[in-house]
Amino acid sequence: MLTLLDAWLLAPFDYGFMRRALVAGLALSLAAPPLGVFLVLRGMSLIGDAMAHAILPGVALGFLLAGFSLPAMSLGGVLSGLLVAVLAGSVSQMTGHREDSAMASFFLISLAGGVMLVSLGGSSVDLTHVLFGSVLAVNTTALLLIAAISSVIVVTLAVIFRALVVECLDPLFLRGQGLHGGLVHGLFLGLVVLNLTAGFQTLGTLMAVGLMMLPATAARFWSKRLEGLIAIAIGLALAASFGGLLLSYHLSIPSGPAIILIAGVGYLLSALVGRHHSLMARLRRRAAPLGAPEPH
Amino acid sequence: MAATSDARLQLHDLQLAQGNRTVLQHVDGAFRDGAITALVGANGAGKSTLIQGIMGLLKPVAGRVECTVPKERRAWLPQQLPLDLTFPMSVEELVMTGSWPSHGALVGYCARHYRKGREIMARLGISHLAHRPLGELSGGQRQRALIGRTLMQEAELLLLDEPFANVDAETVDVLTTVLRDMADSGVTIIVVLHDTDQLARLADEVVVLANGHAHWTSTEALLQGQTPRSPVAPLALGLTGTHAC
Repeated sequence: MLTLLDAWLLAPFDYGFMRRALVAGLALSLAAPPLGVFLVLRGMSLIGDAMAHAILPGVALGFLLAGFSLPAMSLGGVLSGLLVAVLAGSVSQMTGHREDSAMASFFLISLAGGVMLVSLGGSSVDLTHVLFGSVLAVNTTALLLIAAISSVIVVTLAVIFRALVVECLDPLFLRGQGLHGGLVHGLFLGLVVLNLTAGFQTLGTLMAVGLMMLPATAARFWSKRLEGLIAIAIGLALAASFGGLLLSYHLSIPSGPAIILIAGVGYLLSALVGRHHSLMARLRRRAAPLGAPEPH
Repeated sequence: MAATSDARLQLHDLQLAQGNRTVLQHVDGAFRDGAITALVGANGAGKSTLIQGIMGLLKPVAGRVECTVPKERRAWLPQQLPLDLTFPMSVEELVMTGSWPSHGALVGYCARHYRKGREIMARLGISHLAHRPLGELSGGQRQRALIGRTLMQEAELLLLDEPFANVDAETVDVLTTVLRDMADSGVTIIVVLHDTDQLARLADEVVVLANGHAHWTSTEALLQGQTPRSPVAPLALGLTGTHAC
């Protein structure tokens, strides 16, 4: 039994590429879920998805110019992600249309452009790697970059945390203090783009957003407190990264979908048996009698 | 005009506009420190515009707002506060955010801050709601929590827009006492009111907004129908209530 467990859980990590992929996954699991929690709370769950598409042309351009180099592809991804965010914002301001319609238009253009660019310059294997990730591709440089970006995200988030909370809750209070909400909002979106570019190596551009959103949406079924949401989302993301990599190794499937599918299972289970608003919680719910102690 | 040249909030020949429409002009006056000044006027008279101008959210077309109160000590509670009630935050956490502007982004709250937060909640009678999510509060409870945040902020200038709309009678009593205590401790309070009873109970001075101009007067004078320099009768100011006008 122990031998079987060892063969399933630990032996894969005898390989250097699996260890690097695991560290990369764990670093991303610390940085992505808090961003996802704020996106969910702000009613912007789909913005992460749009931004994931938006980084594709830049990643593809980096790939065409410098080959499979993570720094070049990441730089391209950050630049095209920020460009799309700024373009969508400007078009919506100039035309008066809602930002989500401009964002939807731009991310579709980006996706088509990105896929076309990759197809022009590479094989279908390359395309699969860019879209769905490959653990084999995480070399030491890539790992350092992922760790550095994740650290930058966690530290920046810590610095803007209170402002972000106030901006979500009561933007007027923030403006009254002379801090423009747009500044905090822009910085936050920048972090989302950064995180997606860090994630695409192991997860792929289309899947990177999954590690951000699924743990965050699942956490809503377990906690009603911001700190609780973030802690649970990080825990789920860590478990999904570990489990997904093992699944990817044993079943020879791309790591991105494997990790996200595990996170997806976590979401579905939470929706079924979570503490708050889940199917089971709804079935069990009884109003507390008057005078009952306040639930904390 | 209750002009005291050393008041912390003074308006000098102020002209404010919404878009191309001038709402107020030639507004000159000072808000007395430590007094509760009521803003009255009919709908569209410029009450909200004046508050936005004072808070620095609306740039004057001409003239200026001279305010020596630092930004982190100014608080504004509009009537329709865009508060996201689905955000997972408890009453205590909301009150504690008041200390953020002066406390900084990174330093953690210490026991002294939490003690102060608890004292404030006790003063407002919401201690038992400390851990309750904001979305589960009644209008009155939410208003008390928001006033708690301004107390935590140690606000020196407080602007309130219809603070007693949609709140229960007990909350009105609690808030009236708290606001009076705040004013006595030196806070400059400006409050938009429509109810003459509340005006009589709360306001030390009144600024009447009508026809694009502002006139300072005393509460007694307004309620007795003597509105110097104002051609508008109190009833035309949108005032309601049982107090004699």
